[in-house]
Amino acid sequence: MVFNSIRGRLLFGILAVVVPIYAGALYMSYQATQQRLEYQAERDADELAARLAAGMDAVIRPIEGGIRTVAGQLEEIDPPREQYAARIRGILAAWPDVYGSTIAVETGSAGASSTAFAPYLYRQADTIGYSDLARDSYAYQDLPWYRRAADSRQPVWSLPYFDAGGGETWMVTYSVPFFRRLPEQGRSLAGVVTADLALTWMREASAKVSLGPSGMGWLMSPPTTKQPFVTPIGATVDRIGKFDASLDTQAIRRAGEQMLARKVTLALLPADITSQPVYLAVRDLQTLDWRLMLLLPRAELLAEARKLLQRQLWLGAVGLLVLIGAISLVAAAISRPVHALADAVGAASEDNIAFPLPDWQRRDEVGVLTDALRRMRDSLQKHIRLRAESLAAEARLEHELQIAASIQQSMLPKQESSPFSASVRVAATLLPAKQVGGDLYDYFVADDTQLLFAVADVSDKGIPAALCMARLSALLRTLAPATPSPDRLLHELNARFNQANDACMFVTLGCGLLNVQTGRIRYASAGHDPPLLRTCEGTVRQMSVENGPAIGIEAVAHYPLAETFLAPGDTIVAFTDGVTEASAQDGSQFGTDRLAAVLANADDGAPDSLVRTIAEAAASGFRASDDFTVLAISLSPSNVTVRHTESATRWLAQLDSSADAVAQTQQLLRTILAARDVSPEQAGEIELIAEELLTNVIRSLHARGGPAQLSLECALTPTQIVLTVADDGPQFDPLAHDVPELERAIDEREIGGLGILLVRELADRCRYARVDGRNVMEIRLHRTLM
Amino acid sequence: MSLKIFVDSSDPSTIALAGRLDSTTAPELDAVLDRALRGGGKARMVFDLSQLEYISSAGIRCLIRARKAIEPGGGKVAVVNPQPAVRKVLDIVKAIPHGGIFKDTAELDEYLDAMQKKVRDGE
Repeated sequence: MVFNSIRGRLLFGILAVVVPIYAGALYMSYQATQQRLEYQAERDADELAARLAAGMDAVIRPIEGGIRTVAGQLEEIDPPREQYAARIRGILAAWPDVYGSTIAVETGSAGASSTAFAPYLYRQADTIGYSDLARDSYAYQDLPWYRRAADSRQPVWSLPYFDAGGGETWMVTYSVPFFRRLPEQGRSLAGVVTADLALTWMREASAKVSLGPSGMGWLMSPPTTKQPFVTPIGATVDRIGKFDASLDTQAIRRAGEQMLARKVTLALLPADITSQPVYLAVRDLQTLDWRLMLLLPRAELLAEARKLLQRQLWLGAVGLLVLIGAISLVAAAISRPVHALADAVGAASEDNIAFPLPDWQRRDEVGVLTDALRRMRDSLQKHIRLRAESLAAEARLEHELQIAASIQQSMLPKQESSPFSASVRVAATLLPAKQVGGDLYDYFVADDTQLLFAVADVSDKGIPAALCMARLSALLRTLAPATPSPDRLLHELNARFNQANDACMFVTLGCGLLNVQTGRIRYASAGHDPPLLRTCEGTVRQMSVENGPAIGIEAVAHYPLAETFLAPGDTIVAFTDGVTEASAQDGSQFGTDRLAAVLANADDGAPDSLVRTIAEAAASGFRASDDFTVLAISLSPSNVTVRHTESATRWLAQLDSSADAVAQTQQLLRTILAARDVSPEQAGEIELIAEELLTNVIRSLHARGGPAQLSLECALTPTQIVLTVADDGPQFDPLAHDVPELERAIDEREIGGLGILLVRELADRCRYARVDGRNVMEIRLHRTLM
Repeated sequence: MSLKIFVDSSDPSTIALAGRLDSTTAPELDAVLDRALRGGGKARMVFDLSQLEYISSAGIRCLIRARKAIEPGGGKVAVVNPQPAVRKVLDIVKAIPHGGIFKDTAELDEYLDAMQKKVRDGE
């Protein structure tokens, strides 16, 4: 989340660097401060020792001097013993700190007096007390204060001791030996002068020393003293009580002595002495070989360092806050214009691309970005404007294409005004792959009895193909009346088309001429798929056509003529490859076989339903990628009904009783029989039979007068041809008449009766019946195929 | 498809028929025959049927009428080169005696020459 903003990243990055550096500096500063404080503590201890030593010296040195002076005088003058007390009195008078003093006389040495003598004067309340130490019980010459000075022949200080029963206070004694000069022996010990120095002053002086805010300390006699003298310095007693009441002075003393032995002057007290960290500083005083030990609680010592650290932390925190503030300001200064840019761009929409951009004068990154966005916006606006223009152009083109499509559709024949509607039915569909297409179908009256039909596919799709198609359509309509034969028509069409075919387009075209009376189709193909023929029985076959070259390829081309017949109820289906090449998702094509199957399975051969069925079949699971055209034409004379059963196909023609009816019926039979491959010889005989029967019936009907219902049915089974003529006229059995005698001489011969004779002779079987008030004449022939 | 009639009035007069001779077209031939037979019988009449595709009883009646008009007077009606279908019909109804159908004009000429000679010899 923090990293999602420039401010966050900037803050994090800078603080990540600054904070460790700052913390390191702080730590080092703290360490330095602590070291400095420790050094300070050591120095303080030194100074304190020096000060105390100086204080002691200030007291002790004059006394030493004075005592030595007395000893000197005793040596020089050797006054009488009576004056000893006076001299001691002088000492006491001179140094108030001296508690008591004696001049003890040596008895054992050469030239010494024989009697012991040691007058001791000491302070007693407001007076000076006197006692002679030379008593029996007090062998002073054996005592340490005498012996040490006498043996060393040097002035010595005693160790501190508690003068019980005398001064009742801690004392030290300064002993100075004095000698007598003997000619033989040199200097011989004459006695020892001493001064007892009460240590009370030392306590008082120590108590006055200041140890800073938290220091504690003691002045101690050397460890050799059996009963050591220890005096607290300054406010130690109060402080130690607050610090650690259970602190063992002896333990501290031992630790201090160990430090001295190791020549260490400052160390933390071991944890077994006190749980609280505390520094111990030790010094020995030169004057009396005494020790100064100072306790400095670490917490106290570091309190100042801490205070310093705290101050630095505060400063640092303030510094960091200032830094954060500064970074934030800088980051905001960077991100604000970026946000402003983002808002400006975000406000843009498809409708309003003209969003205002903030005016950023500086040539920094934001300035560069703003410029880039401005350029982008401007080029976007330009692009959108161009796109709108091109859309408008497209829409215009689209509109024009729609018009072109409707013009193209209008070039196709209108199905509602189908020619020869009494004899044929026509249906067609053309679905362009694009708005306009290169497919074409057309049909129109070629002459009195013939319908010309054509299906064409211009190479390519779209506008070029559509223009080409329009030209082809015009050529077809122009040339057809002059060349009423498909082969010639294609030849002419090809020649004319090639006169202006710079675009090298080519066209496949199938063209047929259907005689609506005879059912004959003459057909020629310029590279086009042959049409399918669906009989009224439901069988489907491809018309056998020999292809010529597609139109537009050869300058001069010849097109073979093919021929076939449609019986009433039969349908010819012409199509373009857009139908057969419609493809399924798996790549398989609709194909001619599938088309044939669709035709075979159709309920009947009605062109409109066939065309619809084909379009539906090709649309279900298949997709036409090319123009899709189907043209279906069926022969369906209005007076003929076709019935197909499993055993036979029956064509029933309702006839009037005119002479034309005979010719019409003959034509119908010719058509049916030709379309079903009945041999022309047999077809001729059937024609003859029909004529004879019908002329007989019509003549008979005319003779009797009045309107009549007359019909002829032609039924085809696989082996037989059955003609049935029925009329509702009065009963008339042609077979009942006698057969004319053919062998008679010509002048005696009858002219009539030949027709029925022919019928009898040609047919395999003739039968007359009167059924439901109708004359029914049935003729059967064995069917012979071509 | 209809009937075309070509008439050659020389002797023997020849009527060539092309197309269909049926109940519709027979009256046309009847009219031609009426004109040809008017004013004295012809001795010989030849029907060239090489181009005739179809004949029905109505057509046959025309031939028989011609025969009735000519043959009782000693004349002769001959048919030349009928197509098989036509020949079959002619044969069924015995429209022309067997000797009256020739396969071509050469055969007919030969026959006529022989007849002429026989007549001359008989006279």
